[in-house]
Amino acid sequence: MTEHLLQVTDLEVEFSTYGGDVKAVRGVSFHVDPGETLAIVGESGCGKSVTVQSLMGIIPMPPGRITGGSALLRGKEILGLPPRQANRFRGVEVGMIFQDPMTSLNPTMTIGDQISETLMVHRNVSYREASRRAVELLERTRIPEAKNRARQYPFEFSGGMLQRAMIAQSLACSPSILIADEPTTALDVTIQSQILELMSELKRAENMSIILITHDLAVVARMADRVAVMYAGQIVESGTVDEIFYESAHPYTLGLKDAMPSNREQRDKNLMPILGSPPDLFDPPKGCSYYARCPFAMQVCKPKMPPRFTFDSDHSHYARCWLQHDDAPHEERLFQQGKRDVD
Amino acid sequence: MLIKTRNLTKHFPMGIGQTLHAVDGISIEIDENEIMGLVGESGSGKSTFGKTLTGLLQRTSGDAWFRGEALPHKFTAEDHLKYSREMQMIFQDPYSSLNPRMTVLDVIGEGLFIQGRHTRAQIRDQVAMWLERVGLNADHMSRYPHEFSGGQRQRIGIARAMIIEPKFVVCDEPISALDVSVQAQVINLLNDLKQSMGLTMLFIAHDLSMVRYVSDKMSVMYLGALAESGPSNEVFFDPQHPYTRLLIEANPEPDPRIERGRPFAPIRGEITSPVNIGAGCRFADRCPSVMDRCRTETPADISISDTRKVACHLFD
Amino acid sequence: MAEATTDPYLPTATDFSPAVTEESIEQLARPSLSYWQDAWRRLKKNTRAIISLYIIVGLALFTLAGPLVWQVDPALQDLNQISQPPALPRDAVVVETYARWPGVVIEDFPIEPDEYVDSVPAPENVRVVEAPSTQRVRLVWDPVTGAGGYNVYRNQRAPHSINDLGLPLGGTMAGNEVSFEDRLSLEQRVYYYSVVPTDGFDEFDTWTTIEVTPLLSITRADAVARGLIAEDSEVSDGDKIKLEFHPLGTDYLGRDMLARLMEGARISLFIGICAPFLYVLFGILYGGFAGYFGGQFDQLLMRFADFVVALPFLLFMILFKIAFGIGPGESGIIPMLIALVLLGWPATARLVRGQVLQIREQGYIQAARLLGGKHHYLVIRHIIPNTMGVILVTLTFSVPTAIFTEAFLSFIGMGVAPPTPSWGSMCNEGVKTMLSHPHELVFPAMFISITVLAFNLLGDGLTEALDSRMRSRE
Repeated sequence: MTEHLLQVTDLEVEFSTYGGDVKAVRGVSFHVDPGETLAIVGESGCGKSVTVQSLMGIIPMPPGRITGGSALLRGKEILGLPPRQANRFRGVEVGMIFQDPMTSLNPTMTIGDQISETLMVHRNVSYREASRRAVELLERTRIPEAKNRARQYPFEFSGGMLQRAMIAQSLACSPSILIADEPTTALDVTIQSQILELMSELKRAENMSIILITHDLAVVARMADRVAVMYAGQIVESGTVDEIFYESAHPYTLGLKDAMPSNREQRDKNLMPILGSPPDLFDPPKGCSYYARCPFAMQVCKPKMPPRFTFDSDHSHYARCWLQHDDAPHEERLFQQGKRDVD
Repeated sequence: MLIKTRNLTKHFPMGIGQTLHAVDGISIEIDENEIMGLVGESGSGKSTFGKTLTGLLQRTSGDAWFRGEALPHKFTAEDHLKYSREMQMIFQDPYSSLNPRMTVLDVIGEGLFIQGRHTRAQIRDQVAMWLERVGLNADHMSRYPHEFSGGQRQRIGIARAMIIEPKFVVCDEPISALDVSVQAQVINLLNDLKQSMGLTMLFIAHDLSMVRYVSDKMSVMYLGALAESGPSNEVFFDPQHPYTRLLIEANPEPDPRIERGRPFAPIRGEITSPVNIGAGCRFADRCPSVMDRCRTETPADISISDTRKVACHLFD
Repeated sequence: MAEATTDPYLPTATDFSPAVTEESIEQLARPSLSYWQDAWRRLKKNTRAIISLYIIVGLALFTLAGPLVWQVDPALQDLNQISQPPALPRDAVVVETYARWPGVVIEDFPIEPDEYVDSVPAPENVRVVEAPSTQRVRLVWDPVTGAGGYNVYRNQRAPHSINDLGLPLGGTMAGNEVSFEDRLSLEQRVYYYSVVPTDGFDEFDTWTTIEVTPLLSITRADAVARGLIAEDSEVSDGDKIKLEFHPLGTDYLGRDMLARLMEGARISLFIGICAPFLYVLFGILYGGFAGYFGGQFDQLLMRFADFVVALPFLLFMILFKIAFGIGPGESGIIPMLIALVLLGWPATARLVRGQVLQIREQGYIQAARLLGGKHHYLVIRHIIPNTMGVILVTLTFSVPTAIFTEAFLSFIGMGVAPPTPSWGSMCNEGVKTMLSHPHELVFPAMFISITVLAFNLLGDGLTEALDSRMRSRE
């Protein structure tokens, strides 16, 4: 196996609550290669944000704690780093932007100063040099009149502009990976379009990798090279964006797609909601976590956790679903390798 | 025609000489058993319009009719009670729209309780029936809202509005705070209710695809005024107003092949502030086909077919 | 073919038959908790807050039930035990009723010296006659030739020079009067009596010191009167009896500290709970009205609240005292209460107004309005229950402030007047004997500090427990 830029293996994260422990992330593995965009898709509470937050070392501990797994960045372990090293690695190696930029920017400092501060801390440059570079960064994120804007405070920026400023700040030290946690969820369609375009452009220019956390399949379709679909703290299906969209091998992926209205058909197909709610990870099911909502549920799904069934030689497309077992019945709408040949 | 407004306007005073033009002369008509979609970016005034229509906000000027009967200019508590069986509202935030100190029974049964015509046991039965009807477990009646997920809470909010069987419901972004899989549950529930109860709805949202899917007619709002309106599919697949066109172009789709072929041409700039809007087209600053007269002359609604209207000088 | 990376389980054919999944849809796994149950659960986890709660409950018991258990009159003076530190009950010797003592005069010794001399020897044979008790100490010494009188001094440590003899008790004005009786607030401890001969006017520079330890004593009549022994008991002079028990000692007038602290707690807690309760109540109504109706009305009300904040409390306190015709040295509890209530409410009013303004915009209020809810319905059903948390926290934080204000005012003499005790006035009295009898200051001060701390910690705990931001869905 070749070495990946980032290799996360069997990550497990728990949170203590009043009733007991909530297993927010249950054995998540994925990797990121240079210059690619990995989208982690899932509903709120599926553990996608917790996953990247634990990589960045920013989950609150307690109540959170990482109970297992490893994360290697260029072969170096980044989980459980002491705070000083974690600080160095945050921002320099990995940049992060959030859904709500307002809460992650200091309201009492100008935008320019906040970006220069990052540069001064990590790159050890003078204030003048840092300020100059800050304006450059703002220009690169297409903020008009960057010089004047750098002297403004966060509250003077609109949501879209703030997100640009956040991107500028996270780019300050040319990170190799940009983690974007729901970067456009709070934005309007037109602004979302602008931000997504900016991110793709920067990715191409810098050969940067992006981990995109989102619940919006449309954003995934637009941005991602590879996709990991998360459900109830596990990755239930992973593959290239085409595999996920056109060869969906897990009923949950299929369900997500069916739940969204399509724009191209004049005559409407019915929306097919996924019934019920995700399981409470306070007491996760023993078998498949999607069992209770799955239209294809089988006897084996309830007591037995499905293993990962992979479809290609490099193991890039896999699904955690018993339907991928050789003995499982054929389902018309689901991608089941081998089954097609049989029929 | 169930609902009709003419030049409905809501301004908020913002201190000396400043006025926020949240809603500026909106005229719509909604037929019985029809879903009217209202789309727009945040800050376009679409929620304010919904709240002004139901009387939660007092309108600045303009008229509104319900079944031909003029709605009062300022709603008193008695007016609200009188119209409670006619107009209800479903709110955006499933967290702040349910009182955290009340059990689900009290939340859903509130409408019946206020009307005071039902016994405790009757309310209980009705609530149990409605819990089942919105797909929840009737045994969870004595639980508190915070114990439910967002989608479940939204369904509780729907049950609260529906239990008194109104004719017209304003859905104020009922799905934008929900997950994709749960959005479909709520949408299907609303569709079912529309069919089974003959409901009429004003469906406010910013998700174009969803509005197109849900509604019969669609109106696009920009900075407090309507840019375009007409049957949903027509507006969506054949947009006329430059804003609608750009909005639909920017709307991403869950299909990588289409997305890869999409030319990246995002709309320029951002929605401007609705404070002290002067004459001229509101979209002029961002419009790719802006003309000189757009900056000085406010465009009127122009009918381009029996059912469609566009507020743009291009169609003069 | 699809290939499983890890496949510890080999399924059989029946495993792949369809399953019915309906049962587990929309189930809630966790136990149901109401707002208050949840808050109580989180408060219980906060050790400091719970300890504080116990302390406050203990304090309430101390104040209300204490006087029933410890039935000692806080105004009663125990003159046998003045400024006593906390101790177990002491033994006292029963002595006969005080009888005048004529003293010792040596007849054949000259009253005045025949001739004035420069120096005389130190008095010899200074001794105590009759057993020394705290009732009296009687000293006798041999006459000194050349002396025309004697001065007697008392010190609490051994003197090292003539300038260190201690308290001048008095003396005799004749060379042949060679006795002295000391009845000046004697305690059971070591005293050093020094006798200095004089020439009738000035002291000579010689002296003699003896060490005396008077025994704690009580007369039989006193003991009977105070109920220490029965009238017909067989206790006779010279026997030992137990004196009254003062677990926390006595103050400078011999009053029981414990009883006074209980009595003082009533005053302090009365002010500390009544005043906040009244002004928080007023603040809720005022702020609630302002927030609920909003607009110009709100502006007007809040500007008036700002005006009230600007009024100086101490000045008002003095004005009220004058207006009520209460002179210096008289108790000013009622004016204090009025001043606290009249000037204390704006903080609560602002807080409640903010809350109400926020709640008014919540979806559930709008929903209730659409359902036809009238003003009083919205207020009672939605607004008040949702402001209760904040109100409770405010109340908890107001109590220590009021207690502290009361203590401060009583300390500077503007609150309760003697003999009514309050913790503040007890501190004021105790501070005078701070160096010699520290317990008189320490106990009331400790009560103030612990009470204030306990209420503050409880308030902190409540803030945390009731904070809706902490109520994440976890």
